[in-house]
Formats: sequence, C-alpha cells, structure tokens
Amino acid sequence: MKPEPAQHRLAPSGAPRRPLGYRGSEIERTNGYEVEDGARLMERVRARDVDAFERLYDGYHRLVFGIALRIAADATLAEDVTQSIFLTLWSAPEAFREGNFPAWLSRVTRNRTLDAVRSRANRPTEEIPVDLPAEVATDSEVFARIDAQRVRGALAALNDEQRTPIELGFFGGITHEEIARRTGIPLGTIKTRIRTGLRRMREALTEAVSR
Amino acid sequence: MNEPTDREALLDLVAAYALGVLPGPEQGLVAALILADPAARREYHELRATANLVGLSAEEPVDSARAARMKERLMAAVRSDVAPRQVPVSAVRSSAMWGTALAAAAAVVFALVSVIQNFGLRSDLHESQQRVATLQARLDAGRRTVQRDRSMLADLAAGDAKRYTVAYGTVVTRGDHVYLALGSLPPLAPGKVYQAWTLAHGAKTVAPSVTFTPSQTGLTLVPIPDVAGGLAAVAVSVEPQGGSRQPTTKPAFVQPLS
Repeated sequence: MKPEPAQHRLAPSGAPRRPLGYRGSEIERTNGYEVEDGARLMERVRARDVDAFERLYDGYHRLVFGIALRIAADATLAEDVTQSIFLTLWSAPEAFREGNFPAWLSRVTRNRTLDAVRSRANRPTEEIPVDLPAEVATDSEVFARIDAQRVRGALAALNDEQRTPIELGFFGGITHEEIARRTGIPLGTIKTRIRTGLRRMREALTEAVSR
Repeated sequence: MNEPTDREALLDLVAAYALGVLPGPEQGLVAALILADPAARREYHELRATANLVGLSAEEPVDSARAARMKERLMAAVRSDVAPRQVPVSAVRSSAMWGTALAAAAAVVFALVSVIQNFGLRSDLHESQQRVATLQARLDAGRRTVQRDRSMLADLAAGDAKRYTVAYGTVVTRGDHVYLALGSLPPLAPGKVYQAWTLAHGAKTVAPSVTFTPSQTGLTLVPIPDVAGGLAAVAVSVEPQGGSRQPTTKPAFVQPLS
C-alpha cells in the first residue's frame, strides 16, 4: 500500500537559520548552547542516568521538534512526537546501537512523525519497511562532525531538480512514484536525480568536514 | 537489454530505498539485491548515511515556553520512573475504597444502559462481528506476508547462508530454504515466463518448479519450495506461459548446490 502524502512544508534549504553543531567526541558551544555527543550520552542513559537524559533533551530537542514540525506542519503533533521520541530514548535506549546519533535520531523522528500523521488522518501506514540488518556505521566518524548548517549548505548547493525530490521524499514521506506524479517528471528521471543529488550532497559534506 | 544501463537503474533504486521512498513491494526486492551484491550494499550504506542527514536541515529553535513545558513533562516521567515506588498505606486504602465505589457505580450504570440498548444493538453486533471477521482475516493474511518476507530476508542476510553467483543474480541457500535473488533479467516475450528447475540428488532429469516473471524493476526474489538439502542443482529457463514439464529452451543458468 502506498503511503499517503503527509502535509509538509518545503522551506528553502539555503535560508539562514540558527546553526547548531554536533561533534562526535567533544562539546561544542554554538550560539549560546552546548551540544554533547549524543552517542556518549546514550551510553549513560542506558545506565539510567537522569542527568545524561536531560542533557540529551537539551541538545537534541530542536532537531526532533524541527523535523516533526516540518513534516506534520502542526506544532501540537510535533510536540507529541517529540515527547514520545524522548520517552522512547529513555525507556528503550538500546534502540540506538552505534554510529551517528543525530543522523539516527533524524531518521527515527522522520518515521515516527510520518506514522503519527498517517494515524491522525486514519490512513494506513506503509507496509512494514524491510530494514537491513547491521547497518555498519562506516560514516559515523566522518559524519559525526556534520552540523545542521553544513547540511543546509550541502542541500542548498544542489540544484532544484535534485533537492526537491530529496526533500519531498524525506519530509513528505511519499514514494518516488508520488514524487514523479507531483512534479510531473518521469519516474526514471526522479530516481536518477535522487541518487545524483544524494551523491553530490555526500561529496559536499565529506569535503566540508575535511577542511 | 543494455547491461550498464540496467546496473545504473538498479543503483537508482538503491538510492530511492536509502532515502525511504520505495513502495513496500519493491523494498524487499531491493533489500535482496543489496544483500546479494556488495557494490549495491556499499552504495546503500553511503547513501543511507547521507539521506539520514537531510533531517538535520530541519532543526529549528523551539520557543522557550514550549521547550520548558516538554522538558518538565519528560523529566517528571523519567524521575518517577527511577524513583522507588513507595505509596503510603493510607493512600492505598483510600484509593481502594474509592476504586470499589466507582466500580460499583459503573456496574450499575452499565447494566441500565445495557438493558435499554440491548435490542437495538443485536443487529449492529452481527454486522460488526462480520466486519471484524473480515478485517481479522485481512490482518492475518498481512501478518503472514510480513512474517514470510522477514523470514526470507533473515535467510538472505544470514552469515551462514550459502551464496552462489549466477547469471543475473545470486542463488542463496540456508537450512532447508533456497532462493533466487535475480536482477536485470532480460524482458520476456509475450506469452513467456521464467521457470525454475530443480535437480534432486541422484536424479537424472530436472523437475519443474515455480514459474515467475520479473518485476517492473527487473528485480525478482523467488523462493524455491523444495528442501535445499535434497537438491543437487537449480536452473532457470524461459518457458511458455503456464510452465513446461521439461526445459524447452537453453537455461539462463544452471547452478550446482554443494
């Protein structure tokens, strides 16, 4: 069954927003607040460390709420999703195993919000996704140094043809067929643009962190 | 079919899967390809890691009142979770008394309402029961499908699975199970299907197995119903619709199973 499109907003990716830094192995102070390494905090949360959980919330609630709001376009639902995700981080911290914590959290938030949006609209969710085992975090070291500003920069550097299907796919939660239908672009072209766009984005991010 | 183009098309599908925009029916097939093909697997991991980062672009400042409200609720829940659960005896007694009284009141109300509505509800009940039965049947079928898909993917991904590279894909065996994970199969002429063949240990001729047609993407995952341990080889050929008793065309591949 195809997923129904979630209501979504596509804000211009290049728009300047408040940057927040994620560092893999250190604390970074950015615009007045600190973000601790999420993977390390999660280790402490596993040991039922309330202080670590509080720091986790302080560091990452903007990310979770931001994604949920972008997808749901509903602040109340975004708040519910944020609460639900952080409660899950507390009650089932083993769900995060290793790798790039913000990237993992980003995917979890995306999926949870799409489920919530579909559930609210009484629409069935997409069939249970087949998830591949042992997604080895080969990029965790490199991409742990990626922050929101760099991701926005990498997305903004793509041309519209590549950026639009990627953003529609991630935040809209729709299939490539639906992206093709909405944009009026052939399906094969959409698939190629998604791949080319992700490849270019990856190159830009890799280059950014190596500077 | 042009092979490099097919390869690129497959990798485009892997990218769509990495972004999370592939419809359910295609997910399993691409997952099988990723598991069977190291280059596709590498592409998937790289693009998946990149796609996950897209979410970071949505990070927004949260207004302080909302952030504080969420935090207060969360921290209260977390602290109550770690706090030792001690309830005063008086509170227990009090809540037990209230609980008993409320339960009794609820029972009276429920009984009254039940009597009044009983007749009207009977016909609705029958209809609802039929609807529930239908939905339950669909749910059971869906569960079986999901269970089967999971089981197949578990087999395909297992470290102890045996994988044999063949033309157009991989033959995978694990325990009693045999699968054909095929990509880039040439398109079929009208009225033709692909048919799998099995050769039992000690047999002199192959036996007909399942027929299949490639998906629109060219990716196909075919479970072979025979028990792997009893098979000496598997093969695939193009046959007329409905299948044949013996191969009528040269097999696309013949793979001995060790």
